[in-house]
Amino acid sequence: MSGDAGTVILDVDRLEKHYGGVHAVDGVSFTVERGSITGLIGPNGAGKSTALAVIGGYVSPTAGRIHFDGADITGYPMHARARVGLVRTFQMARVFGNLTTIENLLVAVPRQRGESAAGILAGKWFWRGEERQLVERARALLDTFGMSTKADDPARTLSGGQKRAVEIMRALMMKPKLLLLDEPMAGLSPSLSRQLEDMLIRLAGDGLSLLLVEHELDTVDRLCGKVVVMAQGRVLSEGRMAELRLSREVQDAYVIG
Amino acid sequence: MAWEYYLVVMLVYLGTDLLAVWGLNLEFGVSGVANLAYIVVVAAGAYTFAICTLGPSSGNGGFQTYIGGFTLPFPLALLAGALAGAVVGTLIGVTGLKRLRQDYQAVAMLVVSLMVATVVSADTGFLNGSAGLALIPNPFADLDPEVARWAYVAVVAFCCLIGFLVLRRFTTGPIGRTLRAMRDDDTAASAAGKNVIGLRLVVQAVGGAFGGLSGALLAGFIGGWSPSAWVYIETLAFLSCVIVGGMGSDRGVSLGTLIIAVLLLQGVQFLPQISSSPGLSEDFGWIILGASTIIFIWFRPQGVLPERRPRYLGKSSSHSPG
Amino acid sequence: MQLIIEAIGFGIATGAVIALGAVGFSVQFGISNILNITYGSLMTLAAYVGLLLINHGVNAWLALVLGAVVVGVVSVVYHRALLAPLVRRGTRAIAMVIVTVSAGIILQYVIVSIAGPESHSYGEQSGSTLHLIGFTLSAGQVAIIVLTASLMLGLHLLLTRTTLGKAMRATSSNRTLARSCGISTDRVSDIAWLISGSLCGAAGVALAITTVSFDFSLGSLFLIPMIAAAVLGGIGQPYGAMLGGLIVGVSSEVAAAVSNPNYKDVVAFMILIIMLLVRPRGLFGAAWSTRRLMEG
Repeated sequence: MSGDAGTVILDVDRLEKHYGGVHAVDGVSFTVERGSITGLIGPNGAGKSTALAVIGGYVSPTAGRIHFDGADITGYPMHARARVGLVRTFQMARVFGNLTTIENLLVAVPRQRGESAAGILAGKWFWRGEERQLVERARALLDTFGMSTKADDPARTLSGGQKRAVEIMRALMMKPKLLLLDEPMAGLSPSLSRQLEDMLIRLAGDGLSLLLVEHELDTVDRLCGKVVVMAQGRVLSEGRMAELRLSREVQDAYVIG
Repeated sequence: MAWEYYLVVMLVYLGTDLLAVWGLNLEFGVSGVANLAYIVVVAAGAYTFAICTLGPSSGNGGFQTYIGGFTLPFPLALLAGALAGAVVGTLIGVTGLKRLRQDYQAVAMLVVSLMVATVVSADTGFLNGSAGLALIPNPFADLDPEVARWAYVAVVAFCCLIGFLVLRRFTTGPIGRTLRAMRDDDTAASAAGKNVIGLRLVVQAVGGAFGGLSGALLAGFIGGWSPSAWVYIETLAFLSCVIVGGMGSDRGVSLGTLIIAVLLLQGVQFLPQISSSPGLSEDFGWIILGASTIIFIWFRPQGVLPERRPRYLGKSSSHSPG
Repeated sequence: MQLIIEAIGFGIATGAVIALGAVGFSVQFGISNILNITYGSLMTLAAYVGLLLINHGVNAWLALVLGAVVVGVVSVVYHRALLAPLVRRGTRAIAMVIVTVSAGIILQYVIVSIAGPESHSYGEQSGSTLHLIGFTLSAGQVAIIVLTASLMLGLHLLLTRTTLGKAMRATSSNRTLARSCGISTDRVSDIAWLISGSLCGAAGVALAITTVSFDFSLGSLFLIPMIAAAVLGGIGQPYGAMLGGLIVGVSSEVAAAVSNPNYKDVVAFMILIIMLLVRPRGLFGAAWSTRRLMEG
């Protein structure tokens, strides 16, 4: 295993994903440092979203290994990855439509006492204390995101931007170590996406690691320390955005597609 | 007296229907698994109850053949029925483990229901084929018949009470919330660390136990059980109660069970008396059931009493979701 | 050995009827993304329409054509009046299945309340017995095999050689894209439901011709082998369904010949369950059908 478990949180090693004859991801390797924001960019069809789906556990890889926080998680199903702190959001924000906004946050916490066999058998007194703490954490998050007034509304009634916010709050309720974001700014108004950018920078400052797929290169420029460029299922180049913009190879990939 | 007998029958049917509808609502309304083979777990409970009380197959002159054959006490036989429902429910749940579209899973379960009925009907050595099992002993045979009838009603009522308390443990609180999240979006639920497959199997087992208990109580009351009692469309009757009453709402589906029962009894009365086709009222009942299901899905998919979510006002949160 | 060869011959005849039904079912699913369980009851309807006509002295083969037309028209109306509006209202796929099951039960019991629960028969329609390359088949069975083969060929030519067929395939693989290319998807889906409904009707009458007697449960029992065939071929794909029908037909007849005839349907069931657990996209699963069946 390459990389040092101390500074590297995610180590993707020669990852491949084939669909029939199509090599959507074709031997991709890169690392994500602890507390950093890493960008994954590339033209349409480069395999970024597939790579993210494989890392998140939604799709199983054809070959390659994924190490997270010092452990090999290649065989972990999605929910097990979430439980060790590798949490993903979706390109199209997915909320639990019939639950209220605050319930969407509460439900996300893994291994709640009230979900366990003991909690079901013993009843409310067993989980009431933990539940109270979760409600407080959820309310605090809703305040931070300015959504307290929506707490008891069904999530299906929220706007697109609000749903995106719910998804990110839901991820934060899980106290993740690494957050995978698939085009988090897509569909947000410019002012909202600036707010989200500030939020992500603050989270990274607090020690959270982020890996994001993003189309908008200016956003990537502002957020990401390291950027991995993919084209046709492979890693083309990696480095800082400012350097990459000058690279002939990267420019060609974007022009040719 | 006739009306009293009628009342007893109605109460027992209502109680056993409630148990089954609660189980199906936990699976479908709360957790999003459209178990179109639900009647199979009811049948599993009924057959198990029969086998556990009938004694060896050679008894009664050996006119019916079946596997096993014990003489367990009534409460144990009921428990065995519930357990059989749980096991069969879990097995049916296995067909839904692949990450398939929900409608596709539902059709797979429908086929399971058709198939189990075909197999049981065809093989006379297993559960006496299409003739089914008869002479299932009444647990209160020693009592005066009138007392025995009401004793049975009391047993059913007690089972419903226990059943409701168990049900609420699963439909309220954090676990109820988690199951509903899985229903609304199972991919997002696994991204939130929920073991969707494990949860589904647990739900199938618990819902199956409800169905099994319902079937066991029914078999003990009627004294017989055969494939004609669990045709695949019987699942639709329970499903109608869930959809009409309000998917995911315990109060709603209980009301739905009442509404459907009244609707069927009343609807059949509108029918002109046609002596030549005695089965017509039953046929008409199925038409009413199918129609009310479609009408509700069209005009009021949330049902009469829709699912309600709890509010979390400040620190003192109250938990009483529908 | 002779027993098995005869069973294979029977299986081809059975498979022809299954294929007729499975292809229609697949076309409906492909064009509208709805698993239409009412299909079984519509086959029953066709069988009873055929019965009515035959009792009035109509020839069985003419009854098959008329039954096909009636059920074809009923299918279009059913889709237009109930299913399509529900889909437009945003009804979830799972609720759509419940609707089609409910509608099937309504239709089935309407038939029962009119025609009664007893068994019916078309009478002797099979004609003389023919011996072909070791197979022993009735003239009726041979006719149905020929009929199926020619209908399948016709469907193949329609799908590949005509503008309408291309429009149907385009609508099937991407409805939104097809509409933006100027295809009138509503009209295309009407025609697809007419064709698939007619196949359903033809299959219903053909099934009634080949069985000794039938009652109102004809269609619902037929759902098992039919869905098995459709899944085997990769649901939504007409060509897969044709082959799937043959495989299910032959394997269940052979199994019935070498073991207990009561377990004929069990073979279809085993095929279905194994396919669902192991390879739900079908034997020849094309990428698009995978996308349609798997979530996300």
